[in-house]
Amino acid sequence: MDTGEVLRALGYGDREPDGATLALVRACAGEVRRAAVPRWRSAVLAVLGEDEGGVRLEGGLTLPGWSIRDHLRGCDRAAVFCATLSAPVDALLRRAQAEDMARALVLDCCASTAVEELCDRVEEEIRAGFPGCSFPHRFSPGYGDLPIQLQGELLALLDAPRRIGLCASERHILTPRKSVTAILGISREALPPVEERSCQRCFLRGRCQYRLRGKTCGS
Amino acid sequence: MDLDTLLTREFVFLDGAMGTQLQRRGLPLGAVPELANLEHPDWLADIHRSYVEAGSDILYANTFGANREKLARSGRTVAEVVSAGVALARQAAADRALVALDVGPLGQLLEPNGTLRFEEAYDRFAEVMEAGAAAGADLVVIETMADLNEARAALLAAKERTSLPVLVSMSFEADRRTFLGCGVASMALTLSGLGADAIGINCSLGPLEMAPLVDELKRWTDLPLLLKPNAGLPDPAGGGYDIGPEQFAAALAGLGRAGVQLLGGCCGTGPEHIALLRRELEGARRARRAAAVPAAVCSGTRAVAIDRVRVIGERINPTGKKRFQQALREGDMDYILSQALAQTDAGADILDVNVGLPDVDEVRLLPETVRALQAVTDAPLQLDSTDPAALEGALRACCGKAIVNSVNGDPETLEAILPLVKKYGAAVVGLTLDQNGIPKTAEERLAIARRILDAALALGIPRRDVYIDCLTLTVSAEQAAAGETLRAVRMVKEELRLKTVLGVSNISFGLPARPLVNQNFLTMAMTCGLDLPILNPNVDAMMAAVRCFHLLTNVDAEARDFLAAYGGDAAPTPSAPAAGAAARPLGELVELGLRGEAGQAARALLAAGEDPMALVDGVLIPALDRVGAQFEAGQRFLPQLIQAAGAAQAAFEAVREALAARQDGPPVRRAPIVLATVKGDIHDIGKNIVKVLLENYGFAVLDLGRDVDPERVARAVRETGAPLVGLSALMTTTLKSMEETIALLRREGLPCRVMVGGAVLTADYAARIGADFYARDAKESVDIARRVMG
Repeated sequence: MDTGEVLRALGYGDREPDGATLALVRACAGEVRRAAVPRWRSAVLAVLGEDEGGVRLEGGLTLPGWSIRDHLRGCDRAAVFCATLSAPVDALLRRAQAEDMARALVLDCCASTAVEELCDRVEEEIRAGFPGCSFPHRFSPGYGDLPIQLQGELLALLDAPRRIGLCASERHILTPRKSVTAILGISREALPPVEERSCQRCFLRGRCQYRLRGKTCGS
Repeated sequence: MDLDTLLTREFVFLDGAMGTQLQRRGLPLGAVPELANLEHPDWLADIHRSYVEAGSDILYANTFGANREKLARSGRTVAEVVSAGVALARQAAADRALVALDVGPLGQLLEPNGTLRFEEAYDRFAEVMEAGAAAGADLVVIETMADLNEARAALLAAKERTSLPVLVSMSFEADRRTFLGCGVASMALTLSGLGADAIGINCSLGPLEMAPLVDELKRWTDLPLLLKPNAGLPDPAGGGYDIGPEQFAAALAGLGRAGVQLLGGCCGTGPEHIALLRRELEGARRARRAAAVPAAVCSGTRAVAIDRVRVIGERINPTGKKRFQQALREGDMDYILSQALAQTDAGADILDVNVGLPDVDEVRLLPETVRALQAVTDAPLQLDSTDPAALEGALRACCGKAIVNSVNGDPETLEAILPLVKKYGAAVVGLTLDQNGIPKTAEERLAIARRILDAALALGIPRRDVYIDCLTLTVSAEQAAAGETLRAVRMVKEELRLKTVLGVSNISFGLPARPLVNQNFLTMAMTCGLDLPILNPNVDAMMAAVRCFHLLTNVDAEARDFLAAYGGDAAPTPSAPAAGAAARPLGELVELGLRGEAGQAARALLAAGEDPMALVDGVLIPALDRVGAQFEAGQRFLPQLIQAAGAAQAAFEAVREALAARQDGPPVRRAPIVLATVKGDIHDIGKNIVKVLLENYGFAVLDLGRDVDPERVARAVRETGAPLVGLSALMTTTLKSMEETIALLRREGLPCRVMVGGAVLTADYAARIGADFYARDAKESVDIARRVMG
């Protein structure tokens, strides 16, 4: 696990942590790794076109809003996927919160990092299936104006509750907590670089940790 | 024909997949399959008929997901979809097969993993069960469950709302656990206890992978077993499965011969699989189980067999503990949880849970405590109360197989409590006393134990689930009594063949060197056959006695546990305090975030006569202020701030104990700050960080938890007169709940200020929804609290 990423999430930026904190981060990363049971599902769907409702995908799914439209411009297919560290990580976090909040906070950041890294691996696997194609960075419900209410539909499409135990709550929160759903465009053409494509319209623009350091999340 | 008649046969054949069969006929990806009952009845007629022709004895109606949540957007009611589904299966079955109402998971996770409450899940299932019974189903099948608590909700709904027999199967992964961590033993113990008619496994795995699971399942239940494997494992090369129908049938038939009576198929299987399976088992016989099911209890994720001495932790109990009583009165669940975790860390296998105080609403508090405990510990629970209503609430809330503590020989308690034990499938402690008190002799106590056993057996409670407590009397009051208790333990063990339980610590009351007396009495009792000592596991002498007993009786194979505890390199002992730490002043220990040392230093200062409040105002708060200032200046980071708070908390705990122990009782408590993560939101780490900081600045905090209804916040403010409320939300979708909560507080004219925080909030938005303060981070919430509370 990238402990640098965990430390950034804890507010350290690029500053050196003290030895005790670093040891705590390493120990927590190990605990999360042992508790996690990574599971994922994916499906590749044809992009059928756009209408006023949004981007229509094969199988009847419509992705509403301008940001996903922008995002999938030039893509003729889209991979829809979801990934979870599974319930034991939630149990670990619940217990830690009853014992020691500092450790709980670090565990939580480690788990967030771990699920992003899991998504990286899933994404890599999907990309490998489409040699010669280009991909924008992955896009999730809640980014831009892509509604979070989409979670349930994406999970149903992937049969995720049954296949990997990943569900959405009534208020569209993914459970188990350390889970992600995402859409990854697939283009036969080369795509413009990340900065031009998305930062200008990203809702995190003002407070993005990466941009503060002159980088992008896609780099 | 009915299920009982079918179960007299050597094998009962179920059907195969529904979903894959519907997809083959044109059901689109992501569609609600149950709507086909109304939109494509011809598909269902066709599928059911093909299974009858293949030889299925039971047809699962197409009602797997026919619950109100999944049908919400279809414009159809549960009753419509269920009655159409049952009717279609019935038409195809005619007299050749039974029709099962098929009930799958609700598609949302129950608490504590999600936000769905157990009783809400029960209501949704109850609606389906009643619709199925009204439609004329012959039985209920609950399947593909991953959460044992959800399976419990469904099974209770089926048992309470219909008179139909119920089969239950859960889905296990290759690691032998469900997605939510439930193991085969926990499933078997819990569902057998709750009165399922057969239990088993379906989906996820193929028949080859299910073999080891079946071996395990057979050990833990005497119910008929059911299997519906997938057609195989998904073939990575394509969309199919790794084995063909012939291999499927051969493998599953093998499991049938090994003892599984009800057999069918799940995803990917079709009529061909069932027909082949039937042919494979023509004239075959299934093995009968020889070994008896062991005595055991469990939580949703951990089973504990009483096959050696198992320690029941006694510390969750207010009797004689002022600090614990204070926590109960103040609703301080964190304190109770810390007591639980300390005991399991020390080696307790089971936790006794007693929250009975004269001025506490036990009927509400016992179930609430059970839920809170089960969110953080996997230890099985012993529910300790004399109030049948509190016990029933707790048994309903408790996932797994609990122990009820207790009944005694008084017919009145037997009549009030044993039926609950039976209904919820618990084990029960029988105290060898009755309306006439505690008999003097072992023979008389044995007679009461026999009476309790007979009453339990008459209700259908298995012998293995009756544990007898022969009662420890204080040896300082009656020296001969210890020997009589030990003799009774031996007699119950030998003559009734029952497991025995004994509260140990009471023996030494009023004596010096209590740990010494307790330890020796424990060893003597174990030698007489004590299985379940109730004791304080935090006292190492007691755990040492248990470990030594296991070592010397050859139960601890290769001395593994013993060496892990005392073997030096094999297991690191708890780290010694950092060199020189004890010599440091308390304020510095807090700043460094050294929890254990800070607690010790505070205790030492208090013991030396330091005034508790002076310690808080003169040492702890200034130390926290220094850390807070460094945090704001970017010289310290959040983990360090929280560590410092944690160290201060340990010191505060010492202060609280000192205050609670005062002759004049604890000081009058100030009105608290009420904290909650709003309705619908379960991201509570930010709120919990705020809580730790506030508490360690000496504020009283009433934490309502996460996913909290606006009404509960208003009630808490009304009841406590809290001058400040802190609300947290992390999602844009739950900000709405925050706004509603504030609006309710205002509407009710409650004179409290409101501070809000959470990742998606801004100061502008906070003002817009009517909050008085926006807290950018946890430190700022302390500054706000100081301004408001002075």
